[in-house]
Amino acid sequence: MAALGAWGSALVPARLSRVARALWGWRARRGLVQDAGTADEGKATKPSFEDETVQNLLYKMTGLNLQKVFRPVKKELKPPKYKLMTEAQLEEATRKAIEEAKEKLIMPPVLKEREPIDDVLAEDKFLEGTETTKYVFTDLTYSIPHRERFIVVREPNGVLRKATWEERDRMIQIFFPKEGRRVIPPVVFKDEHLGTVFRQDRHEDILNMCIAQFEPDSPDYIRVHHRTYDDIEKHAKYDLLRSTRHFGGMVWYLVNRKKTDGLLIDMIQRDLLDDATSLITLYHMLHPECQSAKEAKERKLQGVDLIKVFVKTESQKEGYIQLALQAYEEAMATSTAS
Amino acid sequence: ALFAGSRLLRGYRGGHVVIRFALGGCTNRPFFRIVAAHSRRARDGKYLEQLGCLDPLPNAHGERVAGLNLERLRHWLGCGAQLSRPAEKLLGRRGSGRGRGPGSGAARRGSLPLPAGLAGFLPLHPMTVTGAERLRRRAQEAAAPPADGPAGPGDAP
Repeated sequence: MAALGAWGSALVPARLSRVARALWGWRARRGLVQDAGTADEGKATKPSFEDETVQNLLYKMTGLNLQKVFRPVKKELKPPKYKLMTEAQLEEATRKAIEEAKEKLIMPPVLKEREPIDDVLAEDKFLEGTETTKYVFTDLTYSIPHRERFIVVREPNGVLRKATWEERDRMIQIFFPKEGRRVIPPVVFKDEHLGTVFRQDRHEDILNMCIAQFEPDSPDYIRVHHRTYDDIEKHAKYDLLRSTRHFGGMVWYLVNRKKTDGLLIDMIQRDLLDDATSLITLYHMLHPECQSAKEAKERKLQGVDLIKVFVKTESQKEGYIQLALQAYEEAMATSTAS
Repeated sequence: ALFAGSRLLRGYRGGHVVIRFALGGCTNRPFFRIVAAHSRRARDGKYLEQLGCLDPLPNAHGERVAGLNLERLRHWLGCGAQLSRPAEKLLGRRGSGRGRGPGSGAARRGSLPLPAGLAGFLPLHPMTVTGAERLRRRAQEAAAPPADGPAGPGDAP
């Protein structure tokens, strides 16, 4: 009950609304061509990350462990607040907690890597030699979105070109600083240092830092996320991300690369059969041409049968999954018998 | 707006709005603010509005960072503000075929017939071209000294 008292602080909603606004801004922004395109394709050809069905499946799999979502974040030390509540008030408080947790679990967007900018606006050859360093000009008009801001570079050889994405991000952070973001990305995001982070099991923290620092379509963001997911998959540490907003992205990545076996075993071992079935449904949505998808559609399988068909046709670690399924069924049998 | 400008300025005679650089910073560390102010005011004194900044020293990535609030710049230029010499060099010359958007303004016309100022906001100041040619000539004369006496200024028609 002390944990429930802790989320009454004002900082949490402020952080939430900022994060939520930043993330909703992504959906609404005009520069995002992918949303417009995939809304039309949708389930017909290839489902995308943003589709409702996909999002529902991913959200179900993420789980809602209130203790983990509202686990104490390192803030300044305040004594805990205790509230005396009736049953009805407690239910009301739990309901509000669930709603806030849902807001915290909104998944960050998964986008393709952005194309590098390579646009020369003017070539003034006679300016060559007048300056020794380049000039970077940023448009500081307050009311234009950052994606449409004009940032140009005048090179010492006289060429006036649009700034590259890295230069753009740096300039925008200098003039319009965003909280949690640094002008020069911290060294921890380099590959050699990510290993240290993973060894300390701090995948969630590094992913949160990555979301704060980089734009979702920058190559650094995608690289850090992919490394994290690969490491989690290698060491089967799926539970670290289970009730966080990164779980959906991880599942999407694994299903697209067909590396779902470890996750399936983990789910069966924790008795999360519903999650396992939704995982396989998602797999079939994304790879409709595989054999288990066709069989499942023909015979309209549900639950454990779906998993068994999937295991027989698609998985690499068949033996492990069969063992896990057997153990689960034995456990079910003993629990129902006793 | 010119009327509003003179309201703020009791006691001065004449003068007009200029867009110029106000120097700030510390010893051996200059920093310019691009500012719309009355011409009779002190260089670093009370200004009408700050329109941007320029850091003349190169940063860790070897670039000189400048920010320009183009929307307000356009407003003040529309009110009839003049530009100081260094501001002209940076932005370009007013009055000779202007109307080009800021450098990366998605090329409102296909190609720029006149060369644009350093930032590409307005067309180029002729002194920039002259200054560039003088620099180049001086560099050439320094590199190839008296041996080239008779064939000196070969390319200047």
